[in-house]
Amino acid sequence: MTNKARYQQTFAVLHASRASLEEVKRMQANHTYRPVRVKRLVAVCAALVALFALSAVAYAADVGGIQRTIQIWLHGELTDAVFQVENGSYTLDVPNGDGTTSQRAGGGVAIDAFGGERPLTEEELLAQLDHPEVEYNDDGTVVVYYRDQSFDITDLFDEDGVCYLQLEEDGHPLYMTVEYQNGYSTSTSRYPAPSGSSVG
Amino acid sequence: MQRTVDEVFAAYGDRIFAAAFSVCRNRADADDVVQDTLVRYYTHPREFESEDHLKAWLLRVAINRARDVSTSFWRKHTVAWEEYMNDLAFEEPQDSRLFEAVMRLPAKYRAVLHLFYYEGYAVAEIAHILHRPAGTVKSQLNRGRALLKTTLQEEWNDDE
Repeated sequence: MTNKARYQQTFAVLHASRASLEEVKRMQANHTYRPVRVKRLVAVCAALVALFALSAVAYAADVGGIQRTIQIWLHGELTDAVFQVENGSYTLDVPNGDGTTSQRAGGGVAIDAFGGERPLTEEELLAQLDHPEVEYNDDGTVVVYYRDQSFDITDLFDEDGVCYLQLEEDGHPLYMTVEYQNGYSTSTSRYPAPSGSSVG
Repeated sequence: MQRTVDEVFAAYGDRIFAAAFSVCRNRADADDVVQDTLVRYYTHPREFESEDHLKAWLLRVAINRARDVSTSFWRKHTVAWEEYMNDLAFEEPQDSRLFEAVMRLPAKYRAVLHLFYYEGYAVAEIAHILHRPAGTVKSQLNRGRALLKTTLQEEWNDDE
């Protein structure tokens, strides 16, 4: 068997869920553009969540209910965005500057030491937004954004596709290891190893 | 030409999913990418010259979206692809070993290998889809092949 035939036979076991189509058709019928995400088990230890919560820098201004207007760092600038929470998941509507709006989403559950689950709280979800962001642009450039900092790291990857970058977090260094198109990890004490500790 | 969302899903849903999975290595994320790609299809109507044009556009959108998903919060904490492998009905044991070897490669090689071996695209076509120079695609393809050969040895041929 040729490599191509073997490869095709191997990956032919992957099939899209019919639920994806049904959700899109529901959105089409309702003229909405916000997919309902498949709920997933997210293993976040309580201690880690608490750490995230302490480092939150999203400044919330209550507008009532579960929807808030907040300010987030986006591409190095503080930007107003609409933050909406529902059962451990959030959506974030961000104006693009041309009258249109982009939407981001995330969420999860926390798992305690006894295996019990609960949806992440609003505070915990807000803390998720205080993470570095790696943007891969169509022109091939790669840019890291964190709060008011931005770095073009396009030419900083080594031959293994790994880039080491030092950011600043509240006056202290934040060490970041980026694996090209394969996630990143951060640490306040040292550069994380590119394998094993990667978010990929 | 213009096709309905149903028709696009029937014709390309599995291909979109497989391409997305090759990048993000997670079933739930890949399903989200399928949703997002179909939404993009019907919210940004455009005229496609041919089935090939449509397919290449869908794969490009899916792979780009899968890259974005790969750095999101969800990505950091979802079920590992190793666990998902247990649910897949591979025809032969070699298939399982190839799947695992590919999943252990860096993402930049996985996307190129997928488009070459699974979709049958040439280097120039992959370069167009991924917005990478053809020379980069070729070297990534060669590097990916070499890594697979190292891992799989006699189960990976020397053919191209």
